Amino acid sequence: MARVHSDTQGVASAGSRLAARNLRLAYDKRVVVDDLSIDLPDGGFTIIVGPNACGKSTLLKALSRTLSPQSGAVLLGGKPIDSYRSKAVARELAMLPQSPIAPEAITVRDLVGRGRYPHQGLLQQWSHADETAVAAALASTGCEELGERFVSELSGGQRQRVWIAMVLAQQTDLLLLDEPTTFLDIAHQFEVLELCAQLHVEGRTLVAVLHDLNQAARYATNLVVMKAGQIVAQGKPGEILTAALVEDVFGLPCVIIADPVTGTPMVVPQAGRAQR
Amino acid sequence: MSATATASIASPKRPPVLRLGGWLSLPVRARSLVLGGILVVAILATGLATLTLGKLGIAPSNLLPTLLGQGEGRDEIVLTAFRGPRLVVGIAAGAALAVSGALFQTVTRNPLGSPDVIGLTSGASAGAAAFGLMWPGILPLPVGALVGAFVAMALVYVGTGTGFSSPSRMLLIGIGVSAMSLAFVQWVLVRAGREQATVLATYLNGSLAARDWDHAATIWTAIVVLIPSALLLSRRLQLVEMGDEQADALGARSTSARALSILVAIGLATAAVSVAGPVSFIALVAPQIARRLSRSAGPNILASALMGAFLLSLADLLTQQLPFDVTLPVGVLTAILGGIYLGYLLIAQWRKGTI
Repeated sequence: MARVHSDTQGVASAGSRLAARNLRLAYDKRVVVDDLSIDLPDGGFTIIVGPNACGKSTLLKALSRTLSPQSGAVLLGGKPIDSYRSKAVARELAMLPQSPIAPEAITVRDLVGRGRYPHQGLLQQWSHADETAVAAALASTGCEELGERFVSELSGGQRQRVWIAMVLAQQTDLLLLDEPTTFLDIAHQFEVLELCAQLHVEGRTLVAVLHDLNQAARYATNLVVMKAGQIVAQGKPGEILTAALVEDVFGLPCVIIADPVTGTPMVVPQAGRAQR
Repeated sequence: MSATATASIASPKRPPVLRLGGWLSLPVRARSLVLGGILVVAILATGLATLTLGKLGIAPSNLLPTLLGQGEGRDEIVLTAFRGPRLVVGIAAGAALAVSGALFQTVTRNPLGSPDVIGLTSGASAGAAAFGLMWPGILPLPVGALVGAFVAMALVYVGTGTGFSSPSRMLLIGIGVSAMSLAFVQWVLVRAGREQATVLATYLNGSLAARDWDHAATIWTAIVVLIPSALLLSRRLQLVEMGDEQADALGARSTSARALSILVAIGLATAAVSVAGPVSFIALVAPQIARRLSRSAGPNILASALMGAFLLSLADLLTQQLPFDVTLPVGVLTAILGGIYLGYLLIAQWRKGTI
């Protein structure tokens, strides 16, 4: 393991439905993550940060079973995730990838309805429970008005809310989001993060990959910092996010100040050569 | 279960659902139902016209008795030996090609994905050329076409390096295999004598002339087995449309859904090609028109099947009844109409910036 800046065990003891043990993840022969273990605290909002290509999205794929590890295992409820049927996993855990594709000519309601697939069977394709779940998902993302619109005619922010509604319709307690704020302007980024925070407060366990350290520090109850396929720090943002850590992981000299609004750590880069 | 499951907001517009007791609940799309109904009527009308029009046509007043097996000798022969099998083969081959196209387009996430573009149809032509002219007499022409189609698909499978899992690689390699197959066909045609070449040329364009009930049995068997399989796969394919990762996350197992769909699509296309020759563009065009008219996402298996059946039987009716100076193979007509449509599709995609 790489250097650990703070206690990695701090929050793991709270109980973790989702965990990983000694994961080795690779695309063909290129190993991205090696011997990584993690416990994702139940009821927490875990945010994974790290430089580009550090393996954070790859880790999320493995946790959601969309990428199978070369060795090691992901545990869901204490059992290897591979021992479940695919639909059974999808009833426990929902994942929103970085760039899902909206099919041509699909309405918002139909797209959100596709999140119900793991609950449906060949003869039971649209139960009352499906109906209720879709309505509830549209309501809690503020998309009720969009139901009959085509996804292709929505703005970026609306579209992201609709995708989140789709994974909510899955009605899982575990929600994994891969960079849910990419391609959004700053107002819509916060709109999505607020929505995530609200879902967390309502009792779900969230795991998200984010790029913005300050946003991560604001919203995470458990921050995971990755570098070169390893976890180098994990814990409450206020306890682990230090200037030394940021410089070590990102190579960016900085100072950490308290966010004037929330008091959470805020990363302010040192002046570059051109600005001196 | 979930924190928000209690919020039961009645949606303003409830989509209609067919429910039977507690064990069956299917969403119903009014638009698709209407479209399906119109297409069934259109196919019946085309069939009626095919049987009654022209010099050989059965007089409308004699049609019903003839269909019930009480017709006169001449009408009987027209129904059982000429127009009947031709019509029955045309409807089924159209449906098979269209569903094959719908499957290919869904798994490649590309409206250009079809057995034409991916090399299957030209592979079948190459097979027909090889066993028809190069080594005549070893295999009947349709079986030769079948072999050619499978060889072409094997080349695509090996050529991509990743099997059928990467849609864009499949299209690119498919275009290459297609070009090689057509070059092979040209080479064989140049080598062959003129008379032989003419016979083969008719087959290579796709033709429904001189079909018999064996052809009909072949293609209908394929339809009865494979279209239900396509329907079973279509729910998983709807999710594959959203990207493999999202489909996997929803439990739809994209890799196996794609592999099975491609097998079904190859089966349908080769069955159609073996009875009607490589009729071009039905597979490309029918699913796209069906999707635009039904305005619903997903592979639209049934709407595509009906649309394909209608288009091919209509094209065949036109080749029979339009006053061309030679009897035109139906494939020539579908190629002309399909070419115009393909041009439109390319321009539309270009305007949208997706190619």
